[in-house]
Amino acid sequence: MIDIKKANKFYGQGEAAFHVLHDIDLSIAEGEFVSIMGQSGSGKSTLINIIGFLDDEFKGEYFYYKHPIHKYTRAQFSKLRNQNVGFVFQNFKLINTLTVADNVGLPLLYAGEKRQAIKKRVKDVLEAVGLPDASEKKPQNLSGGQQQRVSIARAIVTNPKFLIADEPTGALDSQTSREIMALFKKLNQKNRTTIIMVTHDEKVALQSERIVRILDGRILSDKKVGA
Amino acid sequence: MLFIELLKTSWQSLRVNPKRSFLTMIGIVIGIAAVITIIALGNGVKAKILKELQATNSGKQTTEISYYPNDSTAGSQGFSEDDLMQIRSDFSASLSDVQFKRDTKNINKPVFLGNESRTATISLVKGANQHYTITTGHNIAKSDNEVNNQVALLSKKMAMKEYGTEENALGSSLTVSDKTYQIIGVFNKPTDNYNVDFLLPQKTYLYSTAAQNGSTIKLTFNKGVKVSAASKKIASFLKKNGSSKKEGTYEYTDMGSLLSGISKVISSLTYFISAIAGISLFIAGIGVMNMMYISVSERTQEIGIRLAVGASARSIMLQFLLEAIMLTVFGGLLGFLIGWGTAALISLALPFKAIVTVSSFLLAFGVSSLVGIVFGLLPAKQAADKNLIDILR
Ligand SMILES: Nc1ncnc2c1ncn2[C@@H]1O[C@H](COP(=O)(O)OP(=O)(O)O)[C@@H](O)[C@H]1O
Ligand SMILES: [Mg+2]
Repeated sequence: MIDIKKANKFYGQGEAAFHVLHDIDLSIAEGEFVSIMGQSGSGKSTLINIIGFLDDEFKGEYFYYKHPIHKYTRAQFSKLRNQNVGFVFQNFKLINTLTVADNVGLPLLYAGEKRQAIKKRVKDVLEAVGLPDASEKKPQNLSGGQQQRVSIARAIVTNPKFLIADEPTGALDSQTSREIMALFKKLNQKNRTTIIMVTHDEKVALQSERIVRILDGRILSDKKVGA
Repeated sequence: MLFIELLKTSWQSLRVNPKRSFLTMIGIVIGIAAVITIIALGNGVKAKILKELQATNSGKQTTEISYYPNDSTAGSQGFSEDDLMQIRSDFSASLSDVQFKRDTKNINKPVFLGNESRTATISLVKGANQHYTITTGHNIAKSDNEVNNQVALLSKKMAMKEYGTEENALGSSLTVSDKTYQIIGVFNKPTDNYNVDFLLPQKTYLYSTAAQNGSTIKLTFNKGVKVSAASKKIASFLKKNGSSKKEGTYEYTDMGSLLSGISKVISSLTYFISAIAGISLFIAGIGVMNMMYISVSERTQEIGIRLAVGASARSIMLQFLLEAIMLTVFGGLLGFLIGWGTAALISLALPFKAIVTVSSFLLAFGVSSLVGIVFGLLPAKQAADKNLIDILR
């Protein structure tokens, strides 16, 4: 599904350009649950942003279902994001002035769906993440674990091909982390949703099927869990 | 994203900070209100001038001279047929016609009800009466007018006062200008109306009182005549020779010159106020721009999130632009209403009504949207051009 070839990423331009990713080659198949690990500053977020179509400024090639994403325009990227990926971030990234239901429905709104259809779908996904009664609440009034569930609900509301999660348990206690991981595993196993997750935590990474280790912008190792 | 959803999104955002949104609107409100006020007054005076100095169908202009008796119970109405003949012969060069001006509503006249004399207010009914509801007896019919039946309707109030019951009033006689009418019905007056005491069939009334006299005459001038000067001449002629010169005065109110004076003041004020309003709108626009820039930087995270879940740069830009436009358009509409109200209030003290037209509304709407677009565009562009990766860091 995902085929990245010789991807390089620079922050800044000219003399001051900072070379973050070096010749990354990475392939991910449908239905996989991949962890990306590495020291802080090693380029994990940078890589996952490229995978998730958030970053359109990289060198190299990226084929998504054989489509040459590296040739796409910015407008095409918005559409690609909306229809193919769900995002889960460490700090949840919910809009505080909107209700939970409006936050979760946002991707569908940008997909051009009607309110009525959105309402029903939002209800379903909030149930799926275990928050059936939260729709009219504001995000601030929820616990961290609940907020992360909301953001997972938002990530899966469009039935995306894959999820990217940047340290999804980084801001949560270990009990809540376990619950969130259980939710990810359920999504991966029941719905066959591909998940690509960045994490610091070895225990969390061991819940996935494959671990990619990065150091200073280079892939150090790429192994199946337990192999 | 559907446009209606964008509108809702913008509206929601404005409601998050209602105080700030309102304060930002004030400049727009004041600017638009000032312009609408002065335009409404200007329209009013222009319409009034047209009406006062109205040209008849043939392009001739008309004026009026009224008689004001010193003693309001005096029998004479001021003008007789002789007066008109005099005017016709003396001013034939400039005048094409002189007529009594016929009042058909709220005519104050001395009458006899039964044997008792009193001053009453009479309105005339053309054809069959439809405006007033009959409570007892029957109505004035079209045929009453056609064959000059001398019948009358009495107000319920007066019937109760004079006869105790409505039924008792039926059949009694009313004498107006030496003609006797029979009361055939009692009517209930609409609350908005003057205190009308009697309704008479118009044709019967005019026929019986004939064209003998009146309290106002209507002068029609030939083309090219200076109507104001000529009317004054006729008024002073009447003061010397009029049939009722001893019991009252003949007055020509020169509405034309009065109104054109006001009109001149208003049109010079229009330029002045428009200039001030322009400055006010410009400053208000800067205020809108400032608020939008603040809003865009405060909501950087929101913009990032929207972009991440698939908003196009275009829809982000539209969202913020619509916020600015909504703000200024609401301000504009509020200003329009306030301006309308202010003009109506001011015109209470002036001899004409303020007139608000559709084009005033369109002006308020157009100018305020324009301010929103012009001053919202740059902040909206800034919002749309934000770098997603930098925001998400
Ligand atoms: N938007 C950016 N502009 C400039 N430098 C950046 C930006 N994002 C990340 N970096 C730098 O790139 C390196 C890799 O960052 P990141 O991918 O966030 O690492 P990780 O997620 O592994 O901690 C870091 O040194 C970081 O300072
Ligand atoms: Mg990171």
